[in-house]
Amino acid sequence: MLLVDILLSGLILGGMYALTAMGLTLQYGVARILNLAYGEVMVAAAFTAYVLFTGAAVVPLLGLLLVLPLAFAANWAIYRVMLVPLVRRARTRAALETDSILATFGLLFVLQGIGFVIFGGQYYGYAYLSAPVSILGTTVAVNRLVALGFAAVLAVGLYWLLTRTRTGTAIRAVAVNPDAARLVAIDVQTIAGLAFAAGGALCAAGGVLVSMFLTFNAAMGVLFTMKALIVVIMGGVGNLLGALAAGLLLGLIETAVARLVDPGLTLAANYALFLGVLLVRPTGLFGRPAR
Amino acid sequence: MSAILRYGPAALVSGTLAALALVPLLGSDYHVALAVAVLSYIVLATAWALFSGPTGYVSLATVAFFGIGAYTVAVLGEVLPWPVVLLVAALIGLVVALVVGLSTLRLSGIYFVVFSFGLAELIRQLVTWYEVNVGRSVGRYVFLDIGQTAIFWQLFGLAVAVFVVGWLVRRSRLGLALQVIGEDETVARHCGIDTTRAKLALFAVSSVFITVTGAVMAPRWTYIDPAIAFNPLVSFQVVVMALLGGAGVLYGPLLGAVPLVLLFDVIGANFPNHFSILLGLVFVVVVYGLPRGVAGLLGRANSIEHRAGPPSHRVRGEGGSPRSGETGEGASRGYADAPSPGSHASSVRSDLSPRAGRRETCLDVSGEPLLEIVDLSKSFGGVRAVDGVSFQVARGSIVGLIGPNGSGKTTALNLISGLIPPRGGAIRFDGAEITGLRSDRIVHRGIARTFQLVRVLDELTCADNVMAAIAFRRHPSWGEKARHRAATLLARVGLAGRDEEPAGRLTYIDSKRLELARALALDPKLLLLDEWLAGLNPTELQEGIALIASLKRDGLTIVMVEHVMDAIRSLCDRCVVMNTGRTIADGGTAEVLAAPEVVRAYLGGGDADD
Amino acid sequence: MRRVSAAVLAALGAFALTSTASAQAASDKAVPDKVRIGYAISKTGPFTGGASITTLPVYQLWVKEVNAAGGLKIGDRRVPIEVVEYDDRSNSEEAIKAIERLASQDKVDFILPPWSTGLNLAVGPILNRLGYPHLAVTTNTNRAPELAKRWPNASFWLGLPSDISVEMVAVLKTLRDQGKIGPTVAMIAVSDQFGIELSTAARDAFGKAGFKLAYDKSYPAGTQDMQPMLKDAMATSPDVFVSFSYPPDTLAVTDAAKVLSFNPKVFFTGVGTAFPLFKQRFGGNAEGVMGIGGWNAESPRLKDYLERHKAGVGREPDRWANPITFASLQALQQAIERVGVDRAAVVKELQSGTFDTIIGTVKLEGGLLKDVWAVGQWQNGEFYGIAPSKKDGARAAIVPKPSWGP
Repeated sequence: MLLVDILLSGLILGGMYALTAMGLTLQYGVARILNLAYGEVMVAAAFTAYVLFTGAAVVPLLGLLLVLPLAFAANWAIYRVMLVPLVRRARTRAALETDSILATFGLLFVLQGIGFVIFGGQYYGYAYLSAPVSILGTTVAVNRLVALGFAAVLAVGLYWLLTRTRTGTAIRAVAVNPDAARLVAIDVQTIAGLAFAAGGALCAAGGVLVSMFLTFNAAMGVLFTMKALIVVIMGGVGNLLGALAAGLLLGLIETAVARLVDPGLTLAANYALFLGVLLVRPTGLFGRPAR
Repeated sequence: MSAILRYGPAALVSGTLAALALVPLLGSDYHVALAVAVLSYIVLATAWALFSGPTGYVSLATVAFFGIGAYTVAVLGEVLPWPVVLLVAALIGLVVALVVGLSTLRLSGIYFVVFSFGLAELIRQLVTWYEVNVGRSVGRYVFLDIGQTAIFWQLFGLAVAVFVVGWLVRRSRLGLALQVIGEDETVARHCGIDTTRAKLALFAVSSVFITVTGAVMAPRWTYIDPAIAFNPLVSFQVVVMALLGGAGVLYGPLLGAVPLVLLFDVIGANFPNHFSILLGLVFVVVVYGLPRGVAGLLGRANSIEHRAGPPSHRVRGEGGSPRSGETGEGASRGYADAPSPGSHASSVRSDLSPRAGRRETCLDVSGEPLLEIVDLSKSFGGVRAVDGVSFQVARGSIVGLIGPNGSGKTTALNLISGLIPPRGGAIRFDGAEITGLRSDRIVHRGIARTFQLVRVLDELTCADNVMAAIAFRRHPSWGEKARHRAATLLARVGLAGRDEEPAGRLTYIDSKRLELARALALDPKLLLLDEWLAGLNPTELQEGIALIASLKRDGLTIVMVEHVMDAIRSLCDRCVVMNTGRTIADGGTAEVLAAPEVVRAYLGGGDADD
Repeated sequence: MRRVSAAVLAALGAFALTSTASAQAASDKAVPDKVRIGYAISKTGPFTGGASITTLPVYQLWVKEVNAAGGLKIGDRRVPIEVVEYDDRSNSEEAIKAIERLASQDKVDFILPPWSTGLNLAVGPILNRLGYPHLAVTTNTNRAPELAKRWPNASFWLGLPSDISVEMVAVLKTLRDQGKIGPTVAMIAVSDQFGIELSTAARDAFGKAGFKLAYDKSYPAGTQDMQPMLKDAMATSPDVFVSFSYPPDTLAVTDAAKVLSFNPKVFFTGVGTAFPLFKQRFGGNAEGVMGIGGWNAESPRLKDYLERHKAGVGREPDRWANPITFASLQALQQAIERVGVDRAAVVKELQSGTFDTIIGTVKLEGGLLKDVWAVGQWQNGEFYGIAPSKKDGARAAIVPKPSWGP
């Protein structure tokens, strides 16, 4: 009973972690942009969902229909305008990494600043689908369950797209080796832009979904970025299923430690798990050995 | 101009520090507060770059050490005399750095970055948990009578110290070692550098400075809790300052820290409501407008990757493709040459056409062999790259290791030089087992090598490329004597007078020569050459053959992987032929080359096709 | 080389700029034609959430109201307030620098405090050294009496964490004596100084009052799922559930309790329970929830303040530190109006004087305001103070809390 309880609650929490990290793994794994402004995009989506819900009574799940294309377009624009010059300039992957860290660090401040100007620093939150549902004798919140469902659907859907479609194959090729991809006539920049935009859309989806049950304010983006970064690295850069597995694992251990050991050690256990995984597998759970 | 280049950095650093020293004398309390911020970030960013600059490891653990320093003061500040507190903080920082360094420095690239971040958070969580459950209170109060000006002067002393230490390190063997590691860790190990120890040493130095900075700053805040002491923003700011200024040179972080702290202050003071937006915009503008600002790191940062060969042949090391020269010939071959594997096969074929082979007299010194390989094996995934290979190399002889592409020759060399560990079998060298030893240990036993895809250190001069080996071989030397020896070696391989030329500017053939000089600088007993003669024109080939022959006359034992049949015939006393990971022939060069199974393997019969 | 020298020039230029930009001479103190008041507050960073509910809007509202009335009444003249504001970026070092700047560059007459215990303690020594009155309103620590002795210029306005816990337990003990609740308590606390001081004091008080602590854990700030803890707490079937948590966690805990249908007779959370956001988020479900703080909503002054706050700031204030912050500013204003802009005199007046404020008559004892609400409860959509019960307008606690609705 306790075991089922821990498993289920852990999976739901882990699903949220995975959900908030999948976009980053796509952006970083394929487009090679370590996007430090990732969490701000999430917070922006959360605010949009809040405004839609409280202002226009549009429920968040419907709001996704508006937020997703918007985020896709905005991130596409960010990539084309801000990041392409850096990609062109970079001699090596490491140089691009450095540049993208610096540039998105700036972007982080700009987005956060805009958030502060519009919404101030106060906390925001609203209640949607905050109702209990019983599964296998365990009570869980509907909104969190919905988020887990979306995480699973998005991960499986994206995995299918990446492995079964032509564009998906091109995306994977770019992720593995941009130079070689160029040789087989893949437009690397367009593909990378697509991946960045898709990653941004995923990130926004995460923002909308977690806004249903988390309290947020304009300063909170960094926390999301950090958590996502941990999940992405633990799963192996660019690996969607890795992000899913890492997220779920982190959620499980957090819940298990809270129930069985001491809630005070949950985050310590999370970081210890992360560090332990990297010590055993220096490139993450599903990371490729080289580089 | 050269005087400016030479003394400019020193003038810049001492000028900045001198200007700062005037602040407490002339400025208001606010100016001192600002100067404290400037100084603390100068120390943090410079200390950070001390390690991260040359090695390319971007560490976000800065605040872990900073916080440890601050917390040490919070706990011990009112108990012990101040200098003792600082000393204890430094010691704790040192111990933590050593533990952390040992466990983390094998990670690379982004994995190290995020690991170091996670580490700082873990330490913060553990400190919190300890305080809650043992100390029963999380915040600590530091009531020490240490004023702002005293903190300023302590930081000032720390800044002077960090620059002096940095300057000394750059001039030392350790500094050279880190530069080599930063450019190519594999080469570093093959120069005899114990890379782990070198990195650890500098990581510790850098961390101790950061820890002491945290300790010095702590009395300023009166109240310390984990959120204040371990604020991750500090780590990011330090990285950003060092990167903007240029982490590759000692004075770079200063160029980032001073303007950024002042900029933060100007924006914060004049536009408190739009601080974030303006800061972000300024940041973006700086990144785009000042690409050279990060030049220092741009040059170094790709050290995380492993370089091979001149630019056109460079392996990017991205994605899942096996790294050159490490995981087998098949993969690396595809990068190094035109994609058509046939071109090589044909050249080999023409070489094989029966021609009278010259055979030099061979002095097989009797007694135990210098190198003995027994049943060596290694697999990559399901592929058995080396599958039960055994052979011996007599002292003073040249043994050719030949076979078609993908037959496992380079892998065999990699196993001997310790680049990769074998799965099974044994390697005995000079009477002792060396199986599974690290490359730098093997180098110290007396084995040196060149790489199939040339690996010279582009950012270093030719002389420094060779010096790296001289400084870390078994009986190292340093200073004028080493420099003289480097010049001699360069002259021997045909690079006389080009000591100060950056290796990155050398032609393909010259970088091969340089690589050989570096190998020779290790004073090896056994030299492993991996297709050292490939790609030379006929004249160069003759020179190369003569050079190798002269090495043999000097008593050097050589194992050469080679495709150039003329060279094999003229140089090798014996040949070992490999195909699909196994030895298919082993004997005198002429007999082996005539053996039917060898001809069949080279002609592409059976499974040698690739 | 060119790049290097350019950077040096830029640096020197920036330095010169900072030194001169705001070096405006302060006007003659004897006959001020304006009073310069400065503050550094968290406009970015993790403290923004708290600062922008409790502190910053109050500063803005107060300045607006004073200036609308023509300014501070010094002697027989009205002297307007001029504000200098900075962002401390939720960072101790920045807060210190900003205070130094306000004092030595802007030469402000008075400095208003930052938000949070940590920042107030960080700037404490400087304000003390420079002799500025320090209204450390949002400092909540048991060491406040000792700090007030150390820094005679400082005053602490929220009561001690131990007072809050003791008052809370006193309320609960009364309820138990009346037979309304049983003795079992489950308690969680965020693991930072605030949560630990409150929970430590509560633990002692519960023990002394004969309560049984069936579940007693702390959790790290940043925990995103409260359900595991609540499930374990629920398993002990407590009569009382106490959560010493920060606003986002308070909302998450309440939400999780609602989802789990966790209905102890007393549900106590806070800080954050007194926020308007709490009512907005939970609507009718807020009914009966207890928390830190509270106010006497029937007081005409507070009713008036609520309206002014809504009109001036655009939203409701929280019902704990926000009105106290405003009261501290009123005290400052009255002190200045009584003794002028002489800071030493103002410090003395603040410590010894009696002030008429929106929360009633205020008089500090040993640098501490002790007469404040410790426990409040949502009753009919308003967060009334229920303890200390001797306070004017204290209401009786409603127990048991109604079960969570949908």
